[in-house]
Amino acid sequence: MAEYYSSFESGGTRWFLQRVTAVILIGTLAFHFFLLHFVNHAADINFAGTQARMSQVGYFTTMVVFLVTATFHGVNGIYNALVNQGLSGTPKRVAKYGLTIAGLLLIGQGIRVALAMAGISL
Amino acid sequence: MWAWVLHKFTGWVLVGYLFTHIAVLSTATGGATLYNDTLGGLEALAIVRLLEVGLLAVAVFHILNGIRLLFIDLGLGLDRQDQSFYASLVITGAIAVASVPTFLGGL
Amino acid sequence: MSTDPDAETGVDAESTTDADVESSTDTDAESEPAVPEPDISSHQQRRMDEKHEGMAERDAEAAAAAEADGETTHLRIFRYDPEVEGKTEPRFDDFQVPYEQGMTVLDALIYARDHYDSTLTFRHSCQQGVCGSDALFVNGSQYLGCKTQLNEFDEPVRIEPLPHQDVVKDLVVDMQHFYDQMDAVEPYFEPDELPEDDLEEQRQTRENREKIKLSTRCIQCGACMSSCNIAAGDNEYLGPAALNKAYRFVMDEREGEQRREERLEIVEDEHGVWRCQTQFSCTEVCPKDIPLTEHIQELKREAVKEDIKFW
Repeated sequence: MAEYYSSFESGGTRWFLQRVTAVILIGTLAFHFFLLHFVNHAADINFAGTQARMSQVGYFTTMVVFLVTATFHGVNGIYNALVNQGLSGTPKRVAKYGLTIAGLLLIGQGIRVALAMAGISL
Repeated sequence: MWAWVLHKFTGWVLVGYLFTHIAVLSTATGGATLYNDTLGGLEALAIVRLLEVGLLAVAVFHILNGIRLLFIDLGLGLDRQDQSFYASLVITGAIAVASVPTFLGGL
Repeated sequence: MSTDPDAETGVDAESTTDADVESSTDTDAESEPAVPEPDISSHQQRRMDEKHEGMAERDAEAAAAAEADGETTHLRIFRYDPEVEGKTEPRFDDFQVPYEQGMTVLDALIYARDHYDSTLTFRHSCQQGVCGSDALFVNGSQYLGCKTQLNEFDEPVRIEPLPHQDVVKDLVVDMQHFYDQMDAVEPYFEPDELPEDDLEEQRQTRENREKIKLSTRCIQCGACMSSCNIAAGDNEYLGPAALNKAYRFVMDEREGEQRREERLEIVEDEHGVWRCQTQFSCTEVCPKDIPLTEHIQELKREAVKEDIKFW
C-alpha cells in the first residue's frame, strides 16, 4: 500500500516525463544528427569547429538540454525495462539508486566536456 | 509485438551509445590535439563509418516508432497502429540507405 | 430412436450400458430361488437388432464420407501429466481427426478424446464462446477453441496450453494468478451513494452504456494475459483483463466520483497501467474483440490528468 500512497510519485510521473522528454528529443536528436553528419561531415570534425559551435550560448544551452533530456529518457527506459522483466524488492531499489547515480554522473561529465569544448574553464 | 521488441532493442543501443559518446568526447578536456586525433582516427576506420550508418538507422527507427507511440498514447489513429509500425520500418530503411553515400564519403 | 441417423454415438453407448445393467440384474435374479428368468421379448430383441444395424450403417457412412473427402486433419496435441509415468516429461501426441465442414478446434479435441484417447484433458463448457473455458494456444497464437474453425490452420495443427502459466495437465493451466489479478481491481459494482427519491433503479445513460459496452464483454478466458510479454516478465503486473475490468467500472458513471478516484488509485500503481507498453498482442488475441490496449491507454490518460491536478 505504501508504494503508491504518495500518488504523485507513482509510475505516472515517470511515464509522463518519458513522453515529454521524447518530444524534446525528437527535435534535438534530429537536429544533432543533421548538423554533425549532413551539414558538417563527421570526418571533418575538429576542435576548432566544435569550439566555434559551442561558444554560441543558444547552441550550448541546446546541447545541455539535449544531454539532460536524453540521459533521463535513456536511464528511465532502462529502469522500466528491468521492472518489466520482473525486477523487484532489494535489487530493484539498488537498480533505482544505481541508475540515478549513473545518470547524474553522465550529466556531470557531459557538462564538464561541454564547458571544455566552449573554452570555458571553471 | 515486434514494434515493442525493436523499440526496446534500439533503446538499449542508443543508451549504450550515449555513454560511449560522452566518453569519447571527453577527450576535449585533454586539449585540441587529443580531441582531433581521437575523432579523426575513429572516422578513418571503415567499420566506424558503417557503425554510424547503423546508428542512424537505430536512431531513426526509435524516433519514428516513438512518434507512433506518442500518437497511441494520445489515443489517435489506434485503428492504424500496426500499419504505422510498418511505415516506420520502411521509412527507416529508406533513410538509412539514402544516407550511406554521405556517411561513407571521404573514406 | 434407433433409426434416427442424427443420434449421437454417446446416447447409444448409454443404452448399451443400460442393457448391460439389465442383464446383470437378470443374472442376480438367477441366484434368488424359483424366479423364472424372463426372456428378452422378441420385440425388444428386434429393437436392439435394428439399433445395432443402424449404428453399423452410420459408422460405415462416416468412414465412407471421411474417405470420400479424403479429409482428416492432423493434430499435434501437447500432453503432460505429472502423475502418469509416461507423461511426466511434456510430449506431443499425433491424432488424425476426420474433418467435417464447420468443425471447430474444440470439436476436433472432443473427437480425439472420445474416439482415441480418453485421458486427453482440456477445459470446455458452453461451446458457444461465453464461458471462457477453452482458450488455447494453436499454431503459435491464442484462440478460443469453440469459436475457431479448424480449417484456418496449416497442418499439423499444433495445440498447446496457454503460455506463461503453470500447466496442470495436458491443455489445462492454472488460472489462479489470472483470477487474483482480477480480484485486485475490486471487480464489483459499488456506488458511492444510492439514488434519491426511493427510486430503485440506478439509471445509466445510453451514451455511458455504449462507452463501457465493449469492456463488459470479457469472459475471463485468459488469452490476453498469456499473450502479454510484460505479464510474462513481471508477475505483479495486473494485466489487460484486470485493467479492462477496472476500466469498465471507472468509466461507469453510476458509481460516483469518490469510488472512481479510489479505483484509479489501484490501477495507478507502478505495476498497474504503467507497465503496459502498448504491445497490442492482447487486443489481437481477445476472442470478444475488446479493444484492451485502447482502454488501458484511456486509463493512463485519466491517471495523468488526476496526478497533474494535485496543485
